[in-house]
Amino acid sequence: MIKDILGAILVFLGVCVMVIATFGIYRFKYVLNRMHAAALGDTLGLLLILVGLMVLSGWTAGTAKMFIIIIFMWLASPVMSHMIARAEVLTYQHITEECEVISNDDCV
Amino acid sequence: MTTAFELVLIIGLMICAISALKAKRLLVTVVIYMAYSLLMTIVWVLLQSPDLAITEAAVGAGVTGMLFLTTLKKIHALQGTKDE
Amino acid sequence: MKKNIWANFSSWVNGTAEGKDPYEISEKVQPREERKRFKLNEEQKMHLFNLQYKIVAAVVCLTVVGVLLYTLFQLPLFGDPRNPAVNEVVERYVEDGLKETGAVNMVAGMILDYRAFDTFGESSVLFLAVTSVMMLLLRDEKNISKEEDIQEAHERIIEREASDPILRYVVSLVMPCILLFGIYVVLNGHISPGGGFSGGAIMGAGFILYSAAFGTDAVSKFFNMKTFRTITSTALLCYAASKAYSFYTGANGLPTGIPLGTPGAILSSGLILVLDVCVGLVVACTMYGFYSLFAKGEI
Repeated sequence: MIKDILGAILVFLGVCVMVIATFGIYRFKYVLNRMHAAALGDTLGLLLILVGLMVLSGWTAGTAKMFIIIIFMWLASPVMSHMIARAEVLTYQHITEECEVISNDDCV
Repeated sequence: MTTAFELVLIIGLMICAISALKAKRLLVTVVIYMAYSLLMTIVWVLLQSPDLAITEAAVGAGVTGMLFLTTLKKIHALQGTKDE
Repeated sequence: MKKNIWANFSSWVNGTAEGKDPYEISEKVQPREERKRFKLNEEQKMHLFNLQYKIVAAVVCLTVVGVLLYTLFQLPLFGDPRNPAVNEVVERYVEDGLKETGAVNMVAGMILDYRAFDTFGESSVLFLAVTSVMMLLLRDEKNISKEEDIQEAHERIIEREASDPILRYVVSLVMPCILLFGIYVVLNGHISPGGGFSGGAIMGAGFILYSAAFGTDAVSKFFNMKTFRTITSTALLCYAASKAYSFYTGANGLPTGIPLGTPGAILSSGLILVLDVCVGLVVACTMYGFYSLFAKGEI
């Protein structure tokens, strides 16, 4: 009983985060801002939904698969966002008007 | 017979198909096509053919999209969108 | 005569054929007045043609849609037990499939045992497709100009310098898992959903990811034209040979001398495992070959 309620709350929170992320994608106008909103849904929303489903399903083989899905999405999604941001910074010539760019030499 | 979930999926498929035709930029068309493939994957799972679903996810959303993007890069269709 | 045709064909393939250029613009200019009148006339014709085109296109589309919808309503209902789809063929596949092919996954038993000849055609089509792409896009000194060569070298320098350390690290973590999953899907084709085509596509996608992160030179260390040719032709020939053996012994569920094993074990269901591996190899090589040919013009 407690398991069901806890799982339902987690899934509901995850769906809320996803909805917020979707609204964010449409509200922001610039690529990097939009990407920020999309990454929120991909990481936190997915984590909450899958943890909720894991709680609901109990100790089965499906739980392990969901855990592996979380690991893979957390590996893949931030790298994907990083690559999109990198492509934007490298190819958009008016990037300095939109945001502050620190060149690679300053970082090292 | 048709549940609300299937209805939503099928409407989504139709929206994807029409907007892929109507999109002005080729990059947008490719991205919408990949989204179409992902929706189609869920439809295949609902139709109880997981074999097709795995293939659709790997080929339709992965490899084909990659090939389209490579072609767009090759014919310099991505460069034109940046100049405007 | 025959040699002449061959010489013509090879010169056409190499792009050195002589003869009149069909796209050459003739330089005849018509007198001014006549040309103006002609142009107006042409515009009117074009307008009329556009109008007719739209009407005819709409009529044709509506007719086709109507015919298709009419046919759709004549079809039997979905899931009706008296459907023609539910006849003795399906009954045999469902009831005797496990006994005759030894495959728990009924789809694998169907496409790689009863209908294995179709699957052979599909693999050959993939092979033919990559061959045609090679004919069109493969780089050699005859179809590459100097500017393109310089641009290519420039792009390669950019690719090497702009390669991303974060992407490389994560790909080196994820890539073995993708390959392992692809191999699992291929080898488990007769037990769980999946099979040669899906697993091969997953492996091919893994190779594409690797070449996107580390550059195509890194992949060409272990996968070049020679390995591509060897693997695809060997896999196709192996498929053909094992299927020929199956046809020679009578096919149709007759004993072939290969034990079917216990259903559900990895080493079971006779030839299906071999065929799955062959299809998987062909598909993986083809997918990466497509990407490499599209992106760089060579494997």
